[in-house]
Amino acid sequence: MKLLPLFISSLSVSLRSANALWPVPRNLEKGTSHLLLSPSFDIQVEGVAFSDVPGDLQGAIGRTKTRLWEDRLGRLVPGRGQSDLQASAAPGSLSLLTLSIKPPPGEGKGAKVPSITSEVLKDVSARDESYSLHVPADGAPARISANSSLGLLRGLGTFEQLWYWAEKGGEAGTGVVYMHEAPVVVKDDRPAYPYRGFMLDTARNFFPVPDIKRTLDAMSMVKMSQFHWHVVDSQSFPLEVPEFPELAQKGAYSEKEKYSTQDVQDIVKYAAERGIDVLMEIDIPGHTAILAESHPEHIACLHASPWSQYANEPPAGQLRLASAATADFTVALISAIASRLPGTLFSTGGDEINQNCYREDAQTQKDLKESGKTLEQALDGFTGRVHEAVRGRGKRVVVWEEMALEHQVGLANDTVVMVWISSKNAAKVAKKGFHVVHAPSDYFYLDCGAGEWIGNSAGTNSWCDPFKSWQKAYTFDPLASLTKDQASLVLGGQQLLWAEQSSPENLDSIVWPRAAVSAEIFWTGPRLPSGASRSVGEALPRLHDIRFRMVQRGVKAIALQPLWCALRPGQCDS
Amino acid sequence: MMLLRVSQVLLGLSSLSSSALALWPQPRELSTGTTPLKLSNDFSVSTKGLPSTPNDLQDAIRRTQGFLRTDKLQALVPDRGASSKSAVGSARALRSLRLAYTGTARRLTSLSEEAIADVESRVEGYTLTVPADGGEAVLQANSTLGLFRGLTTFGQIWYELEGTAYTLVAPIQIKDEPLYKYRGFMLDTARNYFPVDDIKRTLDAMSWVKINTLHWHIVDSQSFPLVVPGFQTLSEKGAYNAKAVYTPQNVKEIIDYAAARGIDVIAEIDTPGHTSILAHSFPEHIACFEASPWTKYANEPPAGQLRLASPATVNFTSSLLTAAAKLFPSKFFSTGGDEINANCYNEDAETQKDLAGRTVDEALDGFTQAVHGALKGVGKTAVVWEEMLLDHKVKLANDTVVLVWISSANVQAVAQAGYRLVHASNDFFYLDCGAGAWVGNFPDGNSWCDPFKTWQKSYSFNPIANLTKEQEKFVLGGQHLLWTEQAGPTNLDEKIWPRAASGAELFWTGPGGDVRAALPRLHDLQYRFVKRGVKATPLQPEWCALRPGKCDLDA
Repeated sequence: MKLLPLFISSLSVSLRSANALWPVPRNLEKGTSHLLLSPSFDIQVEGVAFSDVPGDLQGAIGRTKTRLWEDRLGRLVPGRGQSDLQASAAPGSLSLLTLSIKPPPGEGKGAKVPSITSEVLKDVSARDESYSLHVPADGAPARISANSSLGLLRGLGTFEQLWYWAEKGGEAGTGVVYMHEAPVVVKDDRPAYPYRGFMLDTARNFFPVPDIKRTLDAMSMVKMSQFHWHVVDSQSFPLEVPEFPELAQKGAYSEKEKYSTQDVQDIVKYAAERGIDVLMEIDIPGHTAILAESHPEHIACLHASPWSQYANEPPAGQLRLASAATADFTVALISAIASRLPGTLFSTGGDEINQNCYREDAQTQKDLKESGKTLEQALDGFTGRVHEAVRGRGKRVVVWEEMALEHQVGLANDTVVMVWISSKNAAKVAKKGFHVVHAPSDYFYLDCGAGEWIGNSAGTNSWCDPFKSWQKAYTFDPLASLTKDQASLVLGGQQLLWAEQSSPENLDSIVWPRAAVSAEIFWTGPRLPSGASRSVGEALPRLHDIRFRMVQRGVKAIALQPLWCALRPGQCDS
Repeated sequence: MMLLRVSQVLLGLSSLSSSALALWPQPRELSTGTTPLKLSNDFSVSTKGLPSTPNDLQDAIRRTQGFLRTDKLQALVPDRGASSKSAVGSARALRSLRLAYTGTARRLTSLSEEAIADVESRVEGYTLTVPADGGEAVLQANSTLGLFRGLTTFGQIWYELEGTAYTLVAPIQIKDEPLYKYRGFMLDTARNYFPVDDIKRTLDAMSWVKINTLHWHIVDSQSFPLVVPGFQTLSEKGAYNAKAVYTPQNVKEIIDYAAARGIDVIAEIDTPGHTSILAHSFPEHIACFEASPWTKYANEPPAGQLRLASPATVNFTSSLLTAAAKLFPSKFFSTGGDEINANCYNEDAETQKDLAGRTVDEALDGFTQAVHGALKGVGKTAVVWEEMLLDHKVKLANDTVVLVWISSANVQAVAQAGYRLVHASNDFFYLDCGAGAWVGNFPDGNSWCDPFKTWQKSYSFNPIANLTKEQEKFVLGGQHLLWTEQAGPTNLDEKIWPRAASGAELFWTGPGGDVRAALPRLHDLQYRFVKRGVKATPLQPEWCALRPGKCDLDA
């Protein structure tokens, strides 16, 4: 048996029978042997009694063991892998995967392996997600080594994607789990960018906790590291805040459409166990009309009509940023929320501030006059106080790009800026020296292209038409128009779902598999293991594969093509 | 109380308030009051006055009563109806809905028989009165199908508050019948396969908006899931896998399920194009099989068309379609006929030999005559895509029905030729448009029929645009369509619903509806669909759904 480095394999091999890993590791060598998964297969952590393995790593190991048998994914070839069974007379059988953590936890009592969660909760740039994986072809133990439990989790995610299932002829429900390209060697796979996210808006329409957990599971499959939770907005306030119970009481769509403190802790824990940090956003000072249901004194231009003069979408309403009382309220609210979150990033939003709203608000005009400040100066003061409160809780502030590019607002050097209006604006943000998260509407907005949702607008398209296909997103270049020096400011990126036209009914289908695209862009970087540039032609068969695997795991990812095409890579290319 | 024409009702303020009646499709004549009325705990549907009660009508009554209990849809207002608590509490209770037959037959025909009768003979009208005082509600019709449509309307009247089903707008008086006889939905089960349960759920949803035809594009070049007696090898070798098939038993199950819900199933076996998959079992009948590059031989991969000039292929096709047609009791059977690729035949040596001096169109004429003739022999009227009439010199029987899909602008030409037509134009009714190119290696590609067709777009369609009075009678109706290159069971519901309901109302109530007035009712329908287990897509934030008009462009 000889290892075939991917770069010498022909184009047809890389298109037709590549290990369908997503995101593709940065280094990958593979063979051509079949390897069975032994019915007695087990996963052990080297040098540590299983009882001393941190609970979240135990959980991850348990999930991997279950999935290997339950994924039951037939290989995407005509016949779905039936011929694989006949191809190899006496394949090896794998009965052990060893997880090895460096440095070794030491001997005897008190030996501690740090948890996945503890790594996830570090600063986004400080997490170690690297791992190496070796699966020998002869059935000898496979091995994942890493410097952290998080790295082991990433390795387990890769390992899970190697396996297929083939039904044994005539025996419905019985089959074998096997891989077809052993041996597999992944050396020092690690993400090109630490921030690989997905944003969900739970305010335009509500998503129950199980929907969020299912989304986190799918995110974890493709090694995403950040869940950006746009939890509240002008339309509803589903977040329960113990210090401000009236906000959700009056602002949630209904008693049931709320996230309790327990729900939030549950989601944060569930995410961390899966290698995902939760970045919560409380968008201010715009996008806050709903606060007026319980605190009308803090909101300018509430439900002002026509809304198009006061907000980018209905209903209008913004925090009275020039009011000292409103600033106090906002600081107290954000502090209360941030103090319960263990992650190191917190977003205060800051997009789409409407000037006209403040111009016509007598209270704001009075406050400005009394303080002698311009609106921009008031915004600076407001932002400064809120950001100080966030930073005081050990968090880095995340803002939308307007805060850095359109307003004269002082921002701390470590502020993370999300670029959404246009991918072109990333260079402007980098020029100012801020860290960038790519979230451009022209590549990564998942809601575009479903028609205008505003009523009485027959025949108009969505504002960010057309639909952002996976292919379009895949061509995004994180470093376009950045200098070499600026490149280090890019933390990563994410696809986003604004939920004006989404709900639990279409969540999976609008998100998956498209959101997996940015997961690969920001993990794998610009080049395949072969050294060739990533391309949609090479990616499609692998994206089909992860999509079908998601469906097997209960995520309703959509078909990208007729099944005929999915089984015949390249045959349906343009 | 006065019956208002629907156009007047739509303009009224009450239709903008979502606590009003939110029926879909809007009845042709409707009047409502302002009195609260609740359903009694012992509410029942009485069939005593009917000359007989067919089993499928009895089942429909049972389903309606089930929905009255299980919908639990709260009114789409900010407090979800809480402020109506005392009004509902003190409301009169409706104890009975009486079904009455106004026809002359001594026994009612079954709903299923009426559903598959000749499309032009179907009677779907009904009247429904729900008094405000708790007195008996009455549903009258002179057909079983009409009674069924009325039951469907009755099931949409009610909201739920703390376990009580209620309306705030009694008395209600409805006189209703569809403007068009054909109100369809087309599903492609060949690009990706849909299990029987998904089709049944779709049929349920169709029936809730009074759609009466499933156009089942059952096979295509990519797969052949239909098990045809005598031709089993087609599905054995052409289905995606052994489980991704429709057996004759499955087909019967689907047809029966549809008919019991007032829906006729029209099967399509698309010929002579879109048949590449047949080559897996009958390579001798297929020209340009999987020829490359596919773009020269077909509109999408894989290439392959029936050798229409070959007598053996003509015989084979006639036998196959006849055998398939026998599985379906509908009067209609579609032979497709779209997107025939001339180059495929030009380069096929076998076809060039078989043409023997004929043109391809002459051979197509012979092929079509033979196939349509065979279908006529088993009692079927042919349905074809527009190219067969407009692009090819093919003689079609006068009763042929033509589906207009390439452009709504082609409707006039079909009517001018004197053929009955069904609106299925991609520029208004294609549900698959706007999701990006599905062919691979095409990063900047949009779907060929961009943009996405919104519900408002199809709602604004005029079925008689550019037609003379004389030509209007050729319009049987219309349908939304789902081609499934980018659809499967995982996104079936949200691709179709609630958008296809827009066509359902257009062809039931008639054109000219106002999208502003329709939106609150469509929200209502979407929420009710979700309650009934159909994953319809939300149209707006819930904030907007609860506040009609507040999210309009000019609000």
